[in-house]
Amino acid sequence: MTSGWAGQVLRVNLTRGEITKEPLRMDWARAYIGGRGLGTKYLYEEIDPRCDPLGPSNKVIFATGPLTGTYAPTGGRYMVLCKSPLTDAIACSNSGGYWGPELKFAGYDMVILEGQSPRPVYIWIHNDHVEIRDASHVWGKTTAETEDILRAETDPQARVAGIGPAGENMCRVACVINDKSRAAGRSGVGAAMGAKRVKAIVVRGTGAVRVADPVRFSQVVMDSLQIVAQSPVTSAALRGLGTASTVGFTNAVGILPTRNFQQGQFEGANAISGQAIAQSVLVRNKGCYSCPIGCARVTEIKGPSKWQGKGEGPEYETIFGVGSDCGVGDLNAILYANYLCNLYAVDTISAGATIATAMELAEKGYIPEEDLAELPFELKFGNADAVIGCLELMAYRRGKFGNLLAEGGYRLAEYYGHPELFMGVKKQEFAAYDPRGAKGMGLGYATSNRGACHLRGYSMSVEWFAPPDQRLDPFSIEGKAAVQKMLQDAAASVDSSGVCTFVTFALTPDKICALYNAATGETLTLEDWALTGERIWNIERLFNIGAGLGRKDDTLPPRMLNEPLTGGAVPGQVVELEPMLEEYYRLRGWDEEGRPTQETLARLGLA
Amino acid sequence: MKLIVSHPEKCVACHLCEGACSLRHEGAFVPAKTRIWVLDLVDEQVYGAFTCFHCPDAPCLTNCPTYAISRDPETGRVYVREEKCIGCKMCLVACPFGVMGYHLDKHVAQNCDLCEGDPQCVKICIYGALEYADKEPLPWATRMERAESGILV
Repeated sequence: MTSGWAGQVLRVNLTRGEITKEPLRMDWARAYIGGRGLGTKYLYEEIDPRCDPLGPSNKVIFATGPLTGTYAPTGGRYMVLCKSPLTDAIACSNSGGYWGPELKFAGYDMVILEGQSPRPVYIWIHNDHVEIRDASHVWGKTTAETEDILRAETDPQARVAGIGPAGENMCRVACVINDKSRAAGRSGVGAAMGAKRVKAIVVRGTGAVRVADPVRFSQVVMDSLQIVAQSPVTSAALRGLGTASTVGFTNAVGILPTRNFQQGQFEGANAISGQAIAQSVLVRNKGCYSCPIGCARVTEIKGPSKWQGKGEGPEYETIFGVGSDCGVGDLNAILYANYLCNLYAVDTISAGATIATAMELAEKGYIPEEDLAELPFELKFGNADAVIGCLELMAYRRGKFGNLLAEGGYRLAEYYGHPELFMGVKKQEFAAYDPRGAKGMGLGYATSNRGACHLRGYSMSVEWFAPPDQRLDPFSIEGKAAVQKMLQDAAASVDSSGVCTFVTFALTPDKICALYNAATGETLTLEDWALTGERIWNIERLFNIGAGLGRKDDTLPPRMLNEPLTGGAVPGQVVELEPMLEEYYRLRGWDEEGRPTQETLARLGLA
Repeated sequence: MKLIVSHPEKCVACHLCEGACSLRHEGAFVPAKTRIWVLDLVDEQVYGAFTCFHCPDAPCLTNCPTYAISRDPETGRVYVREEKCIGCKMCLVACPFGVMGYHLDKHVAQNCDLCEGDPQCVKICIYGALEYADKEPLPWATRMERAESGILV
C-alpha cells in the first residue's frame, strides 16, 4: 500500500464511454511529486503538444498531491491540467475547497479525461464505483444550480467540480469551479472540459489517506501550525483581511493596475480595500480543507444596492480584474461581478482584464460604432453595468461582441487591430501587479509557463513585502533572474505536493519537504526538493516548446517595455526585460532560444 | 466535567479537527470515520464542528438495548463498549444532536472519547473554535432550541 499517494489513476475515455483504473506510475510520482508536476508528466507523455486544445486529442487531468487530504497545513489542493485553450501552452490551474481531498478519499490521485463525449455527461465517483452519467438536465445551468442538482441525485455529502455556461460555450477564459466558489481559474481549463462535454465530476470518498510516518508527520504539522499562527502574513493579513489586504499597499506604491494598466493608482482604492470589505460586506472568513490560514471572504451585499447577493470573494486579483482595471470602485458591483463569475465559471482575472482591454479599445475609438451599437450599455471605464453586462455576453457568447470577449483579451485586441493593448503574456492576462514597479514580477510574467501569472514566481514577496533590510530593490533588475528561478522552482514543488502556495508565506521549503518525506516515506534532501521543482519547470517548458512556443513568447506588452508608469512611488519606470531574460536563460541552462540544453536535460533526468 | 466546547462563530470549516481525530483513532486521514464532524453549509454561510456532549441524561445510553453504552463514573464520559454493541443504531436515532457515530468497517457505534484527556481536535484548532474546558453543557431545552434554529451548540 502506498503512503501519501493513493496509488491509483482513474481514466475516463469519453469517446468510447470507457472507465479504467490503473496503478499510478510510481517512478513518475517520485520524480514529479504529484499534482502539477505529475500531471504535466502524464500530459507530456500522452498528448501531442500541437493538438487542438478544444479537440478530442487534448486531455484534461484532475490531479492531487501526496499531501492532499492529510492535515498538512493547507493540504487540500487539486489542479486541473491540459493544453490551454487560451494560451496553447501548458495549463495548470490550482484550487482548494473540498473536492481534491474527496478524490483522494475515494482512492484516486488523478482523473484523466480523454476523448470527447457525443453528449453532455458528468462523472460520478463513489469510491470504487464510477459511472458516466447523462448531464443533459444540468447543461446550461450555473455552477451552483448544478452542484445542488447533482448532489441531490448522488449523495448529499458529495463534492462537485465542474463548469458553468462559459465552459460549455468554450469561452477561452472559462474556469472550473468546485464547492460553488473555489476556482481552478486560469488558462481556460473550463473550456477544455466543456469541449469534452463533461459538465462535472462528482465525488464521494469514504476511504483513507495514509502517511508513512504518522508520528513524524504530526510533529512537523504541529511545528508548522505554530509558525503559521505567528506569521504576520498568514495570520494578521490573510486571515484578517484576505488577499484584499494587498489593495492598500499596491495602490500606495503605485502598482495597482488601473484602467488596463494605464495607471498604477486607483482613486477609488479605499472603497475596495480589505478594510472596506471587513467593514461592510464581510460575513465571516473561511478556510479550504486543512487550512490554518482562512483567507477566503464569505460576503453578502447588504443595504440598498442595485446589486444583491451573497457568496465568497472577492480576492485581491478579482478586485483588480473587475474593479480597478476596469475603473470600477463600487464594492457591491465587484462582489456581484465576482458571484457572477463563479456562477458562469469564468476566471475573474482574465475576464475582468479582457473587459478592461475592451474598454480601452472602445475609448480609443478602435471598435467600430456598429459593434458598440449592439451593446445595451456604454463600454467605458468606470461603468460597472458594462463589466457585469460583458460577463454575461462573454459566458454565453452572445452576439458578435460576446463572441469576441469570450476569446480573451489577446484575440479581442488583435481582431480590432491593436494587439498592443492586450495586457498579458502568451495570450493570458496579467495579474494584479504592474511589473514596471516590481521588475522581478515582469520577468516572472514573461517566463511563466502558463502565460502571465503572479503565482509562478511571486517575487513581490522579496521586492516589496520583505522587511526593508532584506528587500531587493523593486526598480532594479539586478539579481531578479536568480530570484525568479529560485521562486519558480520552489513554487513548482509546493504546488505539486498538494499544499497551497500561501502557506509558503510562513513555511520555508524544508518544512514542506519534511511533510512530503514523512507522508510518502521518501528521503529527499532539500537539494533534491529544489531540483525536483526545477525538473517540473523544465518539463513544462519542454511541453511549450513542443507546442511551438519559444523566446518570442517570453515577452511583455510594449506598454510595460516602453511607456513609463506615472504616479505613485514608481514614476518613470519601465521593465528592462532583455538583460533579465538573458541572465535568466543562462541561469536556467537554456540556449539563446530558451531551450534547455542537453546538459541541463541530463542534469534534471529529462534527457 | 471537562468537555469539548465548540465555538462555531470562530470555525472556518477547514476540517483540520477531523484529520486530527481520525489520525488518532484510525492511524490515517479518513473523515468518514471521525468522532467529530464539521458542517460546511456554503449557502447558509454556517460552519461549525460538533461532537458528543456526554450528556448528563444521555438518551444514547438509556436507549441502548444491549447496555453497550456506559458512563465512566470517574470522568463522566459516555462510552461504547464495542464487544457489546450489535450495531443496531438505536443510539444514533436517539441522539438529538446527531453526534453518535457509526464505524463503517467495525459496524459499531462510536462517540468522542476525549482522547484520554488530550483531545487532538482541540490541539489542532488554530482558530480557537474548539476548547477543552470544564463547562456544564447548556440545558437540554436550550440546546434543542438552538439546534432547531440552526445555531450550533
